[in-house]
Amino acid sequence: MGRAIVITSGKGGVGKTTTTANLGAALAALGHSVVLVDADIGLRNLDVVMGLENRIVYHSVDVVRGKCSVQKALIKDRRMENLWLLPASQTDDKDAMSPDDMRALVLELKATHDFVIIDCPAGIEQGFKNAIAGADEAVVVATPEVSSIRDADRVVGLLAAAEVPARLVVNRISANLVKRGDMLSQVDVIEILALDLLGAIPLDDQVIATTNKGVPAVIEGKSLAAKEFIRIARRLAGLEADEAKAVGFFTRIGRALGLSATPA
Amino acid sequence: MWNGIKNFLSGKSSREVAKGRLHLVLAHDRTGLEGAKLQEMRDEIAAVIAKYVPIDADAVEIQIEKTRSRETQLTVSSAISPRNA
Repeated sequence: MGRAIVITSGKGGVGKTTTTANLGAALAALGHSVVLVDADIGLRNLDVVMGLENRIVYHSVDVVRGKCSVQKALIKDRRMENLWLLPASQTDDKDAMSPDDMRALVLELKATHDFVIIDCPAGIEQGFKNAIAGADEAVVVATPEVSSIRDADRVVGLLAAAEVPARLVVNRISANLVKRGDMLSQVDVIEILALDLLGAIPLDDQVIATTNKGVPAVIEGKSLAAKEFIRIARRLAGLEADEAKAVGFFTRIGRALGLSATPA
Repeated sequence: MWNGIKNFLSGKSSREVAKGRLHLVLAHDRTGLEGAKLQEMRDEIAAVIAKYVPIDADAVEIQIEKTRSRETQLTVSSAISPRNA
């Protein structure tokens, strides 16, 4: 039985889809079989970021409606041995999928793959609830900006309430700006969010360039961001220890129970 | 509330200012209390205190902060009026 990991952030535009694509490719390169699930129904993008947009026939809503099997809807990434994509539908029907549908879908995928990586939509509404429904764990992506961190904190609270353990990826860190005192460091961010850090991705022009081409940075290879994505994938796979442990685990649980709860 | 302004005046880096502001904003967000609800709670607490000791109800202050232990702390402060006032 595989592991389902949801990539989430609250705020849009912080790099969820890019993180999903790159961690998926990196885990596949490590020899695991990986399915990427686009949970952003109505605003799918994982397909274009992966460069697989021209190969979509069926999508997750077709599977839920019984139009095809889940295996039939999967698109194989031909650049890699063990990487598949389950695209989202572009419907604007809010009720196209329920948390139960998602749970069943993810469970079925976990039976045949080592990792099911779920790309969560921005926001904390229905799409978010669906995306986390089948997840065993979460990766919260935050950029070192006040808006992103604030929204990430909301999401962390909701994940704790849903009993989904979460770890943090800080995206688009600029060492120069941190040194100049004009950007929060990854240490600042873990201190504020009280989450364990999986890794910090440097701000890297290469990610923009490779995304333009529909190639995850990890597949292209040599960039600094790609190296860090690979390191994070190794941590997810249990091949390396986490970057830094935050002490706030019980704080998160306490928060899920409300203000007055005493930490265990 | 005043931390952000104090930071600015003391010439701290934008990184430090961001940290200070986030600590306050997150503490408030975590309570899930909207401004009006907070005001209502403040008024009720002020009324309860006023039942026992003379206070200036308008001067009761509520502070919500993330403490060092990363818990959220709610502090109510009120000056008690002198007995003969």
